[in-house]
This record gives sequence, structure tokens and C-alpha cells, in this order.
Amino acid sequence: MRDPLQAVLEVAGSGLEAQSTRLRVISENIANSQSVGEAPGDSPYVRKTITFDDELDRATGASLVRVKSIGEDQSPFKVEYDPGSPAADDSGFVKTPNVDVLVELADMREANRTYEANLQVAKQAAELLTSTVGLLRE
Amino acid sequence: MNVASVSALSGVGAAPSAPSPAPVSPSGDATPATSFEQALGQVFTGAIDSLRQGEAAAIQGMQGALPAYKVVEAVMGAQRTLQAALAIRDKAVSAYQEISRMNI
Repeated sequence: MRDPLQAVLEVAGSGLEAQSTRLRVISENIANSQSVGEAPGDSPYVRKTITFDDELDRATGASLVRVKSIGEDQSPFKVEYDPGSPAADDSGFVKTPNVDVLVELADMREANRTYEANLQVAKQAAELLTSTVGLLRE
Repeated sequence: MNVASVSALSGVGAAPSAPSPAPVSPSGDATPATSFEQALGQVFTGAIDSLRQGEAAAIQGMQGALPAYKVVEAVMGAQRTLQAALAIRDKAVSAYQEISRMNI
């Protein structure tokens, strides 16, 4: 039998991994929020999305979380009037990424909170394990 | 390291002449130990293994090859295993001391 508290540590660790990947995707979206094409009609940067899924850990029987897929946002690009840009079409419009920085910032906060929650779970489990072992030394 | 194995050994100090405690299998997959010495040996082998893993993880982490939380997990696991092994050793030693202090 595997120690359930040990399993807690593994589950929380998978949560940390998932949320840090999510933060990575968010940072890519924010960093590329101004990335446009370099020739007329070129597509700009496409916003990336991330989805999660549960995954059974056979050793412990616990449900871990994993990154299911990193996809592309299907929403239409924004259009900006900028005739001087190399990516401007005949009428002077440039397609800009479908990234809303405000949405990304809200998403980042959520990822942050979830990461912290997983950290707290790991902290609790580690403390409980340590104090259980501590029963031996009295 | 399994908490169940720790609780199985916790009676050692209290009853020096008691029969050897339940078999201990630190990694969960090892064959059950037949004697207390073997059980203790397995616990220490497990402790040394997890210390090595923690050390390797720390080195990889410093090189940036492993995410921070994995390093922390491995090092904390090693620390816990070592603490458990030391606690078990202390209990065992105190049990033998108890026997040597017996009135004859």
C-alpha cells in the first residue's frame, strides 16, 4: 500500500506542473500580443489556449492533473488601421493578434491562485508526514 | 518510505524483549523482511537511495534541467526518509540499551 499522504504530494506536484505550464502559455500570449505578420495579408500571432485533464496514477490510484492540449483560440483577429505597417493590406488595415491582455492578466491571477493552493496542499501533507515520523522521537 | 512501516516499528523501544515487529518493506515492492535486522537494513537502503535521488535532483535543478517543484519534492522526500531512518535507529539502539541494563 502506498502512503496516501505521499500520493497527496504527487497530486499537488502535478497541479504545480499544470499551473506553471498554464502560466507559460499566458506569458507567451502577453509577450506576443503585438506580434503581427511581415507581409500584407499575413496572419498575426494566434492566441494559445490550454486545457487540462485528469490522469490516473497507477502506483497510488490517485487522479493527477495533466495538460491535455495547448490549442489555438478560434476567435477572429482584431483589425487596426495602420497604413504604414508592412503587414497592411490594400486598404491600410493590419490584422492584430486575438489576444486581450486584460483577459490574460485575469487568467494569470487565476493560475497564480491555483498554484498557491497546490503549494498549500503540499505543505500540509509534508507537515503531516514529518510530524507522523516525529512520533518516533519522544 | 511508508508511514505504516514507521508505526510498525514504534513499539520497539517500549518492549525490548518483544518479538520482532511486522515485516517492513520501505519501497513497497521489496520482498518482506524476515528478521528485524533485515527490516532495518531495508529501511537504511531505502534512506540512502532516496538521499541519492535528492542529491541528483538538486544537481539537475541547479543546472536548470529539472523544475523547481520536482527538486523540492525529491529533497524533502530524502529529508523525511533520513529523519525516519534516524528515528528508527534511535529506537532500536535504545531497545538494545534497555536489554543491557537488565538486572541479572
